[in-house]
Amino acid sequence: MFKSNNVTTRLFQRQIHCARRFYENIVPSYTIYDVECPDHSFRKFTDDGLYLVSFSRNHQDVVVYRPKWLTFSCKEKDCDTHDLPLKARKFESFFTQLYSVTLASSGELICKDFFLYMESNQFGLFATSTAQIHDVPPTGGATQGVPSVEKITFHLLRLEDGAILGERVFHNDYVNLAHSIGAFLYDDLLAIVSLRYQRIHILQIRDSGDIVDVRAIGEFCREDDELFLNSNSQRVVLANPLQSLLHQVLVDHVGNGFHHSLPESETFFLSGIKQRLLSFIFRGIWNEETDQTMRVQCLKKKFYFHFQDYIDLIIWKVQFLDRHHLLIKFGSVDGAVSRNTDSHPSFLAVYNMETTEIVAFYQNSADELYFLFELFSDHFHVSSKSSLHMNLMSSHSNNIHAFEQLRCTKNKAASFSQFVKKMMASLPFSCQSQSPSPYFDQSLFRFDEKLISAIDRHRQSTDHPIKFISRRQPNILKFKMKPGPEAGSMDGRTKKICYFLFHPILPLALSVQQTLFLQASVVNIHFRQ
Amino acid sequence: MTELSMEAPPDCAAGPKGDNLYHWVATIFGPPGTPYEGGIYFLDITFPSDYPFKPPKVVFKTRIYHCNVDPAGNVSLDILTDNWSPALTISKVLLALRSMFTNPQTYKPVVPGIAHLYLGDKAKHDEIASQWTLRFAR
Repeated sequence: MFKSNNVTTRLFQRQIHCARRFYENIVPSYTIYDVECPDHSFRKFTDDGLYLVSFSRNHQDVVVYRPKWLTFSCKEKDCDTHDLPLKARKFESFFTQLYSVTLASSGELICKDFFLYMESNQFGLFATSTAQIHDVPPTGGATQGVPSVEKITFHLLRLEDGAILGERVFHNDYVNLAHSIGAFLYDDLLAIVSLRYQRIHILQIRDSGDIVDVRAIGEFCREDDELFLNSNSQRVVLANPLQSLLHQVLVDHVGNGFHHSLPESETFFLSGIKQRLLSFIFRGIWNEETDQTMRVQCLKKKFYFHFQDYIDLIIWKVQFLDRHHLLIKFGSVDGAVSRNTDSHPSFLAVYNMETTEIVAFYQNSADELYFLFELFSDHFHVSSKSSLHMNLMSSHSNNIHAFEQLRCTKNKAASFSQFVKKMMASLPFSCQSQSPSPYFDQSLFRFDEKLISAIDRHRQSTDHPIKFISRRQPNILKFKMKPGPEAGSMDGRTKKICYFLFHPILPLALSVQQTLFLQASVVNIHFRQ
Repeated sequence: MTELSMEAPPDCAAGPKGDNLYHWVATIFGPPGTPYEGGIYFLDITFPSDYPFKPPKVVFKTRIYHCNVDPAGNVSLDILTDNWSPALTISKVLLALRSMFTNPQTYKPVVPGIAHLYLGDKAKHDEIASQWTLRFAR
């Protein structure tokens, strides 16, 4: 560790390294295998460690637990050497059920991949939806090729007591709910991407639990653009009876509710966000050349030739960079719906929603963007102001070991451009997709990132325990974790998937191992005895 | 159709969309001193198969408040209809479009309401037009 007299550096050192170094001594090295527990799918510990969120197997109810520290009494003398009494070896010793709330109604199911936590208010955001319909005609300005879901509901729950505070329903729309990809929560602002109608809905979650519309970015950029257009069109049209009829239709449509149904003629124009994007790209190429003849040649090649491709781009994913800036990923329709988006070309844009300007635009293979990401990855990894421990998360910009690993991967990569594309595939980041647990702090522990990491993801499971090795003493194994049954599985050929839930503060973790054939999952509790 | 690179008017550019030579896209900067200043306008230019004997069709892809552009973006200028001549080039069309920003053809408007406002209360017209520029053409 470097020593410095700079007070900021010292404070930083004290904040991160000293406080967390104790975790080297306190590790979840003890495992209770195949613990008897309620048949739920366990989703997540909230980032403040106050709640464990799970869903019932039938995808109807949210069941919330309070994690607690195991206590038991021992009558004999040498308590420490005793194994855990049988009575203590159960799920209920670690978790108390607070409540169970039914969220799904009439044909809807809870999306078990979706959960966002608003730490400042202890609110949880959940999603339920009906089944997905493919091959739907793109009515009312919808994007061709994007599936439709009859009803998607976002529910806001006060996690303290399970009270449902607010909800927001999207009809005949498509939001990518898997791993919370289609939504991003930053402070009290929530961005939801409607893939089908190509809108980024910016909502605000009030302290009261009300969900309020701030703006919708897509067809229009400013919140009152549509109102402005309608009030102006009406006046314009009075002179022409035929057109006023047309505009009456327009006004009726809009009065009808949400602006999903503009008449045909209106959809000929570029959407608000596309106009901003195209004029940004155009301006960039225009300014590259000063000679008018060269300029036009350049524009023909780089801009007009690809004009239709730019027009066809759709918004895939969004994250906040701060309260005003969004990082937006654009790509083709095919890439947005398919699972493997890596092979499709994509573009990243920084958009200021207050000035309605595009600030930057890159292709996913751009070296420049990669270098920004390499140096400043923490600026992409934003989290709400209230969650301080999220600042401690290891990244290649704040952790020398993580950086070393990145460099290693970079040098090993067959081609640099492939490597850049692969790295850029993770942008924009999914909201709250990383565990703040100190056991993932790369300045404390070393572990195989293929088997386990802070990123919330299902992984293929092996029968070998996962080793956490000390960083300071490179040969010292600090603890091991093994998902699945203690003896390993009988059938070595069956593919097993597992995931881990780490408590953000306590030396406590759950591992859940599943096989593909709907057998009951094996839940292990890892903790410090 | 290739003459454009030789003599493109200032603040304008155009080129074929993809490899289709009958479908062009043009870009015009809103001229300074007009309420369209600061805007960038994209237009579709479609050439009929009997071009240059028939005029091209010009449609705004960017919303604009202008008495010669109908609510669907279709441009109606005399040189694109009755006064078309096979001698007119794309550069000439772009020049005509550019001058349309500075001097609307109020005597033959496609949206009479805007033309009336332009003639009756130009200040009000310009205020609305520059609002449109700010909101839809940046």
